[in-house]
Amino acid sequence: MSQLVEMLKPDFLLHHALYGSVMMGFVVPLVGVYFLLRRLVFWGVALPQVSAAGIAFALMLQGLGCTWLAGGESGEKHLAIIGSVVFTGLSILFLAYMERRGKGASEGRIGALYALAWAASILFVAANAAGETEMLGLLKGEIVAISESDFHAMLDIFGLIAVAMFLFQREFLLVSYDRDMAVTLGRRVLLWDVLLYLIVGLTISLGVMTVGPLVIFGFLVAPPMAALPWARGMTSLSVLASLCGGASTLAGFYVSYTRDLPLGPVAVCVACSLLVLSWLARAAAGRRVPV
Amino acid sequence: MNEPLVRFRHASLGYGAAPVLTDVNLEIPAQSFVGILGHNGSGKTTLLKTILGLIPCMKGHFSSRGAGLGPPRYGYVPQKERLDPIYPLNAYDVVAMGTYRKLELFPRLRGKDGRHLVERCLAACGASHLARRPFSDLSGGQKQRVLIARALTTEPEVLALDEPLAGIDITTQKALLKLLKEFKEERRLSILMVSHRVQAEKGLFTHIVFCDEGQALMGTTQGMLAHGKLSELFRTEL
Repeated sequence: MSQLVEMLKPDFLLHHALYGSVMMGFVVPLVGVYFLLRRLVFWGVALPQVSAAGIAFALMLQGLGCTWLAGGESGEKHLAIIGSVVFTGLSILFLAYMERRGKGASEGRIGALYALAWAASILFVAANAAGETEMLGLLKGEIVAISESDFHAMLDIFGLIAVAMFLFQREFLLVSYDRDMAVTLGRRVLLWDVLLYLIVGLTISLGVMTVGPLVIFGFLVAPPMAALPWARGMTSLSVLASLCGGASTLAGFYVSYTRDLPLGPVAVCVACSLLVLSWLARAAAGRRVPV
Repeated sequence: MNEPLVRFRHASLGYGAAPVLTDVNLEIPAQSFVGILGHNGSGKTTLLKTILGLIPCMKGHFSSRGAGLGPPRYGYVPQKERLDPIYPLNAYDVVAMGTYRKLELFPRLRGKDGRHLVERCLAACGASHLARRPFSDLSGGQKQRVLIARALTTEPEVLALDEPLAGIDITTQKALLKLLKEFKEERRLSILMVSHRVQAEKGLFTHIVFCDEGQALMGTTQGMLAHGKLSELFRTEL
């Protein structure tokens, strides 16, 4: 208990890592809610891996001598996030376009994209032996070593994403739930879809840079699923999922700190435990589980 | 002379490159109650979706005009099975979607936008008692009432319904049809209703569009029922 109190003090050595990971825990499930409701959960597997491939590609370019692209450690990180956002954004647009055409097997496309992204990540790293350590660090998530400026940038971006998710909840709900209705109401469906996908891409890219692909996938899926059986509307689903994600990262950080375990996997295990508890409680209450 | 609500001239309708209906020539008058009928896969929904602007007219001329200069304001009632039950929405939430026509961030932040309209429309459809119940838990007839209430919150000139009576018992069908008839008279609405059969509703229609084998044939209900024309088209006694 004393360690928990120590963790929550402002002068705690890892307070940036703690606040950053809890912020990630609050915000990523807000986006994950739409993955779940639009039945695009498998996008959550492929896109973080694509994002990682984007990071590897950016670092490879720098390793191959394109130093004019970025200078210094901070420039390297900016280049990595640009690579991540571009790769993720293009993949989302590709998947969304194919989804709208409604032809072919959606799961097959996502599986192929995942395999390609993983293979490409390995090849990009192989072509840039000097950057291998850097890349591995990024893929595992470097939140423990996050710098002051990166921490504040991360808080700002995640804060904006959270505000946008609540402010435009009606639009995102309408185009997700009943697209045809949205068109007859004269709403610009494509515009809202693109905005949602941009937010998804940014969340995944930033998340992968800070906590790694595994954690991002876990937090896109587990907290919204844990919240769904108890939700009484979109706002309650978003708030419950966000609270579940924030609580999981806080508990995960505590376990990780006290037991000297890696933060990401512990946080994902805590989020999945909450999911199992949620479903058991729902079943015990004699109510059906919606998914 | 009154402008028709919807006009097609030598139009081809369909998806992608393949037309479902060809050489469509129709004029739907304002304030009519039109039954769009035909067998499964005959192009009824394609016709409705083109009218609503959900898919473009592939070839020929298509125009629609409401009371203003532009197209009419549509209240759309989709097939209820198309709405995914995974969404944790109650009936009130579903009806409120009809008020999401504009961004209106400030009224939204104050939480005062559209509440009275939603309550009025739920009451008009006899669905006030369903407001707090999960939409996915409602029966077919209850869902249909809620979806009609949602369409009414858009304050439409035209109510467009896609198979609203499918999978609903006869008593509920009659109640829903009575409701639609009342709305048409009280609110001077035009109604377009897709159905794959014609039984209880045929007495309400002022006009019938029959889709079959790539063609759409339109006439007044009286004309279509006379001399067993509709029976012949449906290959059953009506």
